[in-house]
Amino acid sequence: MREVLAVVYREYLIRRTSPTWLFFDLAVPLLYLLMFGVAFDRALGQGLQVNGETIAYNAFFLSGVLSMSCFGSGMNQSYGFFVDRDNGIFYEFLTYPMTRGQFLLGKILFQCSMAVVQCLITIATGTLLLHIAIRWQFLLLVLVGMTIGTAGWFFFLAIIAFRIRRNDTYNTVINVTYFVLMFLSSTFYPLDRVPAWLSALAWLNPLTWHTDVLRFLTIGIGTLSTVFVEVIGFSLFLVLSFWFAVRTLQRAA
Amino acid sequence: MSDIAIEVQDLVKIFRRKNHEPIEAVSGLSFRVLRGEIYGLLGPNGAGKTTTIKILTTLLAPTSGAARVMGHDVVAEPLAVRRQTCVVLQENAIELYLSVRNNFCTFGRFHGLRVQEIERSLDRLSELFGLRDYLNEKGMDLSGGLRRRVQVAKTFMVDKPVVFLDEATTGMDAFNKRTTLEAIKEESRKGRTIVLTTHLLEEAEELCDSVAIMNHGTIIARGSVEDVKSMGLRLLYLSLSLERISDDVVQAIRHRQPLNVEIKNNTVEVTVREAALALDILAAVRETGHLRHFEITSASLEDVFVQLVDREGSAG
Repeated sequence: MREVLAVVYREYLIRRTSPTWLFFDLAVPLLYLLMFGVAFDRALGQGLQVNGETIAYNAFFLSGVLSMSCFGSGMNQSYGFFVDRDNGIFYEFLTYPMTRGQFLLGKILFQCSMAVVQCLITIATGTLLLHIAIRWQFLLLVLVGMTIGTAGWFFFLAIIAFRIRRNDTYNTVINVTYFVLMFLSSTFYPLDRVPAWLSALAWLNPLTWHTDVLRFLTIGIGTLSTVFVEVIGFSLFLVLSFWFAVRTLQRAA
Repeated sequence: MSDIAIEVQDLVKIFRRKNHEPIEAVSGLSFRVLRGEIYGLLGPNGAGKTTTIKILTTLLAPTSGAARVMGHDVVAEPLAVRRQTCVVLQENAIELYLSVRNNFCTFGRFHGLRVQEIERSLDRLSELFGLRDYLNEKGMDLSGGLRRRVQVAKTFMVDKPVVFLDEATTGMDAFNKRTTLEAIKEESRKGRTIVLTTHLLEEAEELCDSVAIMNHGTIIARGSVEDVKSMGLRLLYLSLSLERISDDVVQAIRHRQPLNVEIKNNTVEVTVREAALALDILAAVRETGHLRHFEITSASLEDVFVQLVDREGSAG
């Protein structure tokens, strides 16, 4: 545990001295909700028809913002490997008395705590400013969902970061991945209203599973059986990503 | 308890890349380092020194062969190896966004030091390495030499039995190089085993108990510094300073067929293989009456290194 906490402490020190990263971690999802969400909410006027119910776009989009912020957190943290590699400190870390798994767990523990704070700020803003009706009884599960989501995306993106040596290539790959995954998912729109091919692809996307689970927990949209399958799907994605990330890190030098 | 700190047996590392010929960076390397010894891995660029260090510090897995550090296998027990070692890598490794103080703090925490221990070490090392004025500076604001100083200094925070130093003094000024060399000697006196690579052979000559000269991934000479020096061509250098250089002097020297004669102003540099010949030349020159000063020196580690690597190159 000491090793994991040492990584958390180091991440905390780095983040404390870099307000830009801190801003990215905490404020970007909020801006999505307040700008993109509010604009679409007004543009749609009557709200969205989802599973026979009419809901405000802001309420629908809240879980999309939360899942996007998990992806963003994972992206941000995995990009840190490039910074560490450029500084040379990355390889020194690998000689420290800790396992590769402890190194990754420390990083994700810090990032997950950031995701939890981010989630609470976003939900508080959504409730107070946009009057979204949240299922407060599931708040703890939402926070667990945020933690699992951030971890899953971090481990997945870390695999890419370890395999790619060039910063610019990584940025291109990640931006394209982000773009495709985001729009091939239920983040922005309900999947029963999009073309069949898009809907079919979106069901294969872990971002859809994660968003749907968070949507069910925050505003009650979706069915328990579907959400249950998606929880299992995302958990498998998390475990596999962690396993591959550790393996890739063992060969990173 | 075994006297051996590091044992390397038939170590091979082959790098394979798509569309490239495989590169055998280390080929069948074997050596042992005793506890408390300062062991130098020397060799030209690309000899395989850094690859060897990376395998011993669990950064790279060998293609075949075995290596044990303090009795732990580097492949089967990497964590146990990392618990016994600390490393200064060839690449600069410093947290650019953190202050020098926080660089020490994070390093100490990773190695399990308590806050008080970190503070004590920080006090001692910042004094020793002249870092006191820079403790609140961020890594990104330091010069290259200072960054290297921080990287080396923090290694001495922790009391690990084995220390690997890969070109540790690169980029340091003379003062800091001296401080670092003294610190290495001091750590060795405490019983720590130190493995270093350097291209500065006078450094190796000053520090090392044993050296191994590597070329093309294998060891071409090994032993104590004196042993390795004697593996060269056993050359002696005779430097003769004269009032003036006459034809008689030059003829007296050349007549005795030394390996090489170089004349620079009023100095004649003569290279011979045997001490008797050196004395014979000295006596002959003295008879001419122009001799003011003379000096006989044996080959340095650097001379032997160049000879051995050249010989390898010609043979290969």
